Amino acid sequence: MPLIIKDEYPEKLFREDGKRLDGRDKHELRPIKMEVGLLKNADGSAYLEWGNNKIFAAVYGPRDVHPHYLAKPDRGILRVFYRMATFSVFDRKRPAPGRREKEISMVLADCLEPLLFLELYPGNSFEVFINVMDADGGTRCACATAAALALADAGVPMRSLVTAVAVGKIDGELVTDLSGIEDKTGEADLPCAITWFNEELSLLQFDGSIDLKEFDESITLAKNALIKIHEMQLNTLKNKYIAIQEEYSGGKNKK
Amino acid sequence: MMNTKRVISTIEKNYILNNLRKEERIDGRGLWEYRDWTIKSDVIASAEGSADVTLGDTRIITGLKYDVGTPFPDLPEEGVCTFMAELLPLASPIFERGPPSDQSIELARVVDRGIRHADCVQTKKLCIKANKAVYILFVDLYVINYSGNLIDAGGISSLTTLISSHIPEGKWVDDQLEWTGKYLTGETIVNELPIVTTYGKIGDVIFLDPTLPEELVSDGRISISVTEDKIVSIQKSGLATFSLEEINMLSKKSMEIGKKLRKELNLWQYKVKY
Repeated sequence: MPLIIKDEYPEKLFREDGKRLDGRDKHELRPIKMEVGLLKNADGSAYLEWGNNKIFAAVYGPRDVHPHYLAKPDRGILRVFYRMATFSVFDRKRPAPGRREKEISMVLADCLEPLLFLELYPGNSFEVFINVMDADGGTRCACATAAALALADAGVPMRSLVTAVAVGKIDGELVTDLSGIEDKTGEADLPCAITWFNEELSLLQFDGSIDLKEFDESITLAKNALIKIHEMQLNTLKNKYIAIQEEYSGGKNKK
Repeated sequence: MMNTKRVISTIEKNYILNNLRKEERIDGRGLWEYRDWTIKSDVIASAEGSADVTLGDTRIITGLKYDVGTPFPDLPEEGVCTFMAELLPLASPIFERGPPSDQSIELARVVDRGIRHADCVQTKKLCIKANKAVYILFVDLYVINYSGNLIDAGGISSLTTLISSHIPEGKWVDDQLEWTGKYLTGETIVNELPIVTTYGKIGDVIFLDPTLPEELVSDGRISISVTEDKIVSIQKSGLATFSLEEINMLSKKSMEIGKKLRKELNLWQYKVKY
């Protein structure tokens, strides 16, 4: 069969001026845009643009569990469904959910569950649907960040938000927030998420090879980036209510 | 889980119906008016063409991917264009997870038939080498928010996607495929612009572009696809029956509305330069 154009990988991941291929500094984040409450039918929703990643997240719940045998008599359950659109990647993805999507769904559910007071909702479920419409590296981190926003937007009681980012090593140097190409061709990739109520890691995966010193350094780098993204999440949630307040006070609060 | 059909109260149904009899809609539209359209094209960087279309609160994101494969033996010089629709569970509490539902298959098929029979996609232009290699286009529709009338939104969304498409151009050299570095764009691939118009029917009242509550109480609907001067596809679904006069009236109405909408949306503005 004839071949489709190959996804091309560059030899070097740094330009001559020391910046990364997309013009970022080593620890610069891609532009991030967040929006909450845009899907009217869902109990809570969020839209996240993180570089070229475009992600929709929606929360339905608390509601009845279907199928019923999954319900737990003493607590609620959280189910997360991570899916990618067929056109979100270079080669068309098959429409049915694959092994990768199922694994990430599970990892994300484990990442989000410590935030919730599920013991308050016996027999009920929260369902988080996350759809990646365009992907360019670091989707699982972006999805965790978006899912936390959607849960907060739905008014689900939470201990805190969770924020995620990937740190990695490309061409022998540690960098923050890997893009698609850097993720595929780099030496190491470390996605991690922090739950802010205890400042502990609730999502942690690692692929590649780095020594102990670099590993310690990466965690610190991740934490610095996460603080910035957490600030954006909080502002997004606050802005929604500021907008409502202004609308109902007839713009009196505006300066 | 909720029923596949959301329950709607008799009071709401009567309210909608009484208003329709007076030629009024719950959102203040006339019987033959569309809700507001917004169209954005080329929104997905990874896709070879895409569109983000909203019709009122209904929102559909569509993307195009391509593959190169062998043509069907009976059509050795023609490429293939396929449609798939997914009703994402995030779009509405009445959509469930799992394999494609009847509703999503109907949506993809109705959109497909409207476009297939209208001489819209120039399948001959999608041929790289007869009997050997043709393009296979995948147009995939994702419903992001469901607020009624997916078919019309899906039709416009698919058309915009095809118009905004930019597919790497291939050449057959020495029994092998080579890429020329140029692109096949929507301008080459798309010819006619078929417009699909959907009408709901409650009792004896017929109206254009049903919203979600209207769709839930209506007895049925009919979708008619038209080009500039021809009818190309019809789908009646639901339990409603239509009289011959009604069908006659609707086909005329579709031509009229199709012409108006084609002008209003001016879809050719979304073609890309490469």
